Amino acid sequence: MIISRSKEFKDILKTVQQRNIFIIGCGKCAAKQHLGGEPEVLEMKKKLGISGKNVVGCTVLSSACNIASWDDVLTQNPDIKKAEAFLVMSCGGGVSIISSVADKAVYPALDTESLGGVCGDTIVLEQCGMCDDCDIWLFGGLCPVGQCPKSMRNGPCGGSLDGKCEVDERKCVWDEIHTKLKSLGRLEGLKDIHPPKDHSKRRGRK
Amino acid sequence: MIREKLLSGKFTITAEISPPKGTDVNWMMKEAGMIKNAVDALCVTDNQRAIMRMSPIAACSALLQHGYETIMHLTCRDRNRLALQSELLGAAGLGIKNILVMSGDYPTKGDHPGAKPVYDLDSVQLLDMISRLNKGVDLSGNRLEGKTEFFAGAVSNTELTEVALMKLEKKIKAGAHFIITQAVFDPGKFSEFLDQVHDAGGKKIKIIAGIIPLRSRKTADFLNRNIAGVKVPDNVIKRLSSSSDPGALGIEMAADMIKELREICDGVHIMPVGTHENTRKILEMAGL
Ligand code: SF4
Ligand code: SF4
Repeated sequence: MIISRSKEFKDILKTVQQRNIFIIGCGKCAAKQHLGGEPEVLEMKKKLGISGKNVVGCTVLSSACNIASWDDVLTQNPDIKKAEAFLVMSCGGGVSIISSVADKAVYPALDTESLGGVCGDTIVLEQCGMCDDCDIWLFGGLCPVGQCPKSMRNGPCGGSLDGKCEVDERKCVWDEIHTKLKSLGRLEGLKDIHPPKDHSKRRGRK
Repeated sequence: MIREKLLSGKFTITAEISPPKGTDVNWMMKEAGMIKNAVDALCVTDNQRAIMRMSPIAACSALLQHGYETIMHLTCRDRNRLALQSELLGAAGLGIKNILVMSGDYPTKGDHPGAKPVYDLDSVQLLDMISRLNKGVDLSGNRLEGKTEFFAGAVSNTELTEVALMKLEKKIKAGAHFIITQAVFDPGKFSEFLDQVHDAGGKKIKIIAGIIPLRSRKTADFLNRNIAGVKVPDNVIKRLSSSSDPGALGIEMAADMIKELREICDGVHIMPVGTHENTRKILEMAGL
């Protein structure tokens, strides 16, 4: 799941200069996180109205990053014709896809943060760094590229203290990797020197 | 030369010095002047605590011209593998012989919190890359016209979790010749650390103990709160708070610590809070 955060409402007002707005929510990740589902879209509609905008309509697409037919979206939402701009309550993927098909200005309502997931009711942030060269199994399923702010592949930095990360409130993933591999009896593999990631795989795609 | 000194088993003294925040190297030269001939090498920091300063390569080069031996810090925070290698070739070209490798504090800790953190390599991979440059090949396997001859070191905390020790072992395997530790305040615990490292990484690795001369109870509290891996013990704090001259006591305690460490490790590394005004005195009191 793509993890996002709501932008400050005042920042949205600052960027969206147009008056006639159509709001698009996303039924997948954004809805799951209560950032772009129906309740949030309706709340946004109300707030924009109070701030003097004219919300000409709104919809929640089943997923903003997966548009089978923009024509169908237009047919189902005739009010879009009246809009000067879209406000999209989804991750950057959704905003990009809508920008590529829409012929009006498109603005994001969210900041896209990381690739995480949901486990039960808990949203977990920053699980995978999308390096395009996955070897998470080496680390017991806890990815140091995604979960360590310094992407350290050979062990913790000197800032790791009592299981806490030097950067913010998170746990140091290296303590967790160690605990997990120890419980699995697989500590030996951690002793190997892991080479730097090959970033050409990511950008040099043929 | 600290390589020869350390490898021949002689007790080696290094001291930390920061490049200027700006272009004026006068203060740095004055600092260096205060410890001239009292220490074997000056350890020049690399945007320490993520605070932007003059590059260590330029500062080292200026110090070399004035006859000082230097150890250039190199962090993984600000440069990718191309920049790290070209910096290292440049350093070798300028006559810099010793490199101290570290991950580097995260940018949000410093004065440019919005900077993009690089960390293309980690300290183990950087040490491994230096070993390759020393063999005359770059990270991609290309032959170099003229190889480097770096004496490379790594840093370490003195209280290690199992996984931190595992990483230190890899640093040694990747080519670290020496280790400079975080400040030591408890010689008992430090000697346990020495045993741990020697068991894990072999007896050949040279270990230089960090020394921070305390100035007051306030410095001790500051270090405990803000510097990862530093633990000033309660009895030291107590002595400082009840002393009528904590500055003098701090000097005395640092000298005593050095005397004690001299028996068990390969050198000391002085990291003053502020200036080197007391460093010479501390070393004299320690009999060095
Ligand atoms: S190694 Fe980590 S960052 Fe790379 S794809 Fe796998 S989980 Fe994602
Ligand atoms: S404390 Fe742990 S998680 Fe945080 S940057 Fe250092 S190694 Fe990474």
